[in-house]
Amino acid sequence: MTKMLTDARSIRIKGRSFLAVVLAPDLPFDDWLVRLDDLAARSAGFFLGRPVVLDVTDLPIDRAQLKELITELAGRNVNIMGIEGGRPSILGQGMPPALKGGRPVSDEAVAKEPIIELRNSEPKPSAPEARPTLQSIVIRDPVRSGQSVIFPEGDVTIIGSVASGAEIIAGGSIHIYGTLRGRAMAGSLGNASARIFCRKLEAELLAIDGIYKMADDMAPGLRGHSVQLWLEGDSIMAEKLI
Amino acid sequence: MTIFNLFRKQRSAPTARERLQVLLAHERSSNGSDLVSVLREEILAVIAKHVQVDSDKVQVKMDRDEDVTILEIDVEIPLDAVSQAA
Amino acid sequence: MGKVIVVTSGKGGVGKTTSTAALGAALAQRNERVVVVDFDVGLRNLDLVMGAERRVVYDLINVIQGEAKLSQALIRDKRLETLFLLPASQTRDKDNLTPEGVERVITELRRVFDWVICDSPAGIESGATLAMRHADMAVVVTNPEVSSVRDSDRIIGLLDSKTLKAERGERMEKHLLLTRYDANRAERGDMLKVEDVLEILSIPLIGIIPESMDVLRASNIGSPVTLADARSAPAMAYFEAARRLAGEVLPITVPGEKRGIFGKIFARRAA
Ligand SMILES: Nc1ncnc2c1ncn2[C@@H]1O[C@H](COP(=O)(O)OP(=O)(O)OP(=O)(O)O)[C@@H](O)[C@H]1O
Ligand SMILES: [Mg+2]
Repeated sequence: MTKMLTDARSIRIKGRSFLAVVLAPDLPFDDWLVRLDDLAARSAGFFLGRPVVLDVTDLPIDRAQLKELITELAGRNVNIMGIEGGRPSILGQGMPPALKGGRPVSDEAVAKEPIIELRNSEPKPSAPEARPTLQSIVIRDPVRSGQSVIFPEGDVTIIGSVASGAEIIAGGSIHIYGTLRGRAMAGSLGNASARIFCRKLEAELLAIDGIYKMADDMAPGLRGHSVQLWLEGDSIMAEKLI
Repeated sequence: MTIFNLFRKQRSAPTARERLQVLLAHERSSNGSDLVSVLREEILAVIAKHVQVDSDKVQVKMDRDEDVTILEIDVEIPLDAVSQAA
Repeated sequence: MGKVIVVTSGKGGVGKTTSTAALGAALAQRNERVVVVDFDVGLRNLDLVMGAERRVVYDLINVIQGEAKLSQALIRDKRLETLFLLPASQTRDKDNLTPEGVERVITELRRVFDWVICDSPAGIESGATLAMRHADMAVVVTNPEVSSVRDSDRIIGLLDSKTLKAERGERMEKHLLLTRYDANRAERGDMLKVEDVLEILSIPLIGIIPESMDVLRASNIGSPVTLADARSAPAMAYFEAARRLAGEVLPITVPGEKRGIFGKIFARRAA
């Protein structure tokens, strides 16, 4: 059947890249879900409206198990936009699409990137990006409750306070010349050398390179002070600034 | 004036009660279809049947009481409209 | 061209309607032409606080839907010649409040009045964003209490992003009105301090309204508190706030404190 094209306008297809949170569950899922619930309870709404990718590489599970996991996650308002590392036999209709070629965006990974590109048989439509130089943004207003500043490209500097219920997510370090009452997540693309600085610490949540600290876990002596935070191994360290 | 009245004057709660009674009586009795707005529309429609009036020149006012509701409709009819209709 | 003010808060029950009526009357008592507009469709209250509930014939929705002319829906206050009310609908759905309709009504009101004061519904849904959409200034009503402060912060963010002014890249003038301030609790240290609220919200203060029985009494008899008892503490605080809205620079009076001490710190007017 042929169909006349009466409309001369073409359909525009664009490419766009998004920063997604990757969840890599381990077995048994029940235990992992308990830990997830713990994290979610302490950081309400963290996954809400965020694109989440499920990484099931090397997990010996079948389709039923995967389906159940996705249902469990959906019940927690975690909506999976794609599945990474899943064998074709466990994927299929009614499941989020399989994703390939996602890259962890840590510094080392950027260096390894060409190898991933070589495996791709299809020619890339656009020239490979040059490695971006680290960028920074400065925000001169207070960040209000309900607002997010998301800047994976580099450092974020806020001249003003970050309200309770606001969040700053930076690929690099975060500098706050004001009171930090909301959430700050530095090194969000896997940068363990990122730091958080604030003039007055009242934070709800702090994270560097995916390692979290909730308000309750922070040493009470730090509250209300000028503080810097950094990562040593798997723990967030903090010290008062003069 | 009795002592009782003196007290009544100073208290605002009885006023509030009375205002609410009037209001709620009207809102409940109308159960959705507001009698006043029905009347208003129909009266205006009747006028419009006979004279052409500028809707700007129609003022509708209301005053509700415990016992009566006064719906005051003030229509300014231009002279030529009257002669046309006649 | 008149000024459009939105009285907003995010959180419910903090005193938006009370403040709309009191500020509107206070400005009209200065002989300025004022209209107070109720945007709380479905839960209208402003007519009751103004004592005009028995006189509502048409409402904002009727005007938006073209069922009535604006001049027919406006109710003139019985006490003040220059004060008018545009009531909300109690029976219609809030979906009838269309952006185009609101724009038309506000543009028309702005031409006729010196002040158009919009009483916003609580929340951050369409009713609240429509009420703030055309504002030149905002009065952010906040109680000295954590949930109210956080919600106000959220609303300030919306004022800076969802309003026409913000979209045009202009700065929305925002004023903090601290209401239900309890001097006794403040003295005992059981209430957020004024300085704390100011530091968190970082917008200029236009007044502190004390918690008072006079407010309840005024709403019982259906009169803005500035008309019901002009000498009462909340009325005086609203008069002061109205003068600041009109551009005067005055020291802030903190209820229960000597006049002027605070003023030195907070009298500055910033946008
Ligand atoms: N300064 C005050 N002192 C004592 N009571 C007050 C004061 N201000 C407001 N109130 C009371 O608080 C209640 C809520 O006030 P109001 O209706 O003005 O709030 P609102 O913010 O408009 O509420 P909503 O979000 O439901 O529209 C009313 O009962 C009012 O009388
Ligand atoms: Mg209200």
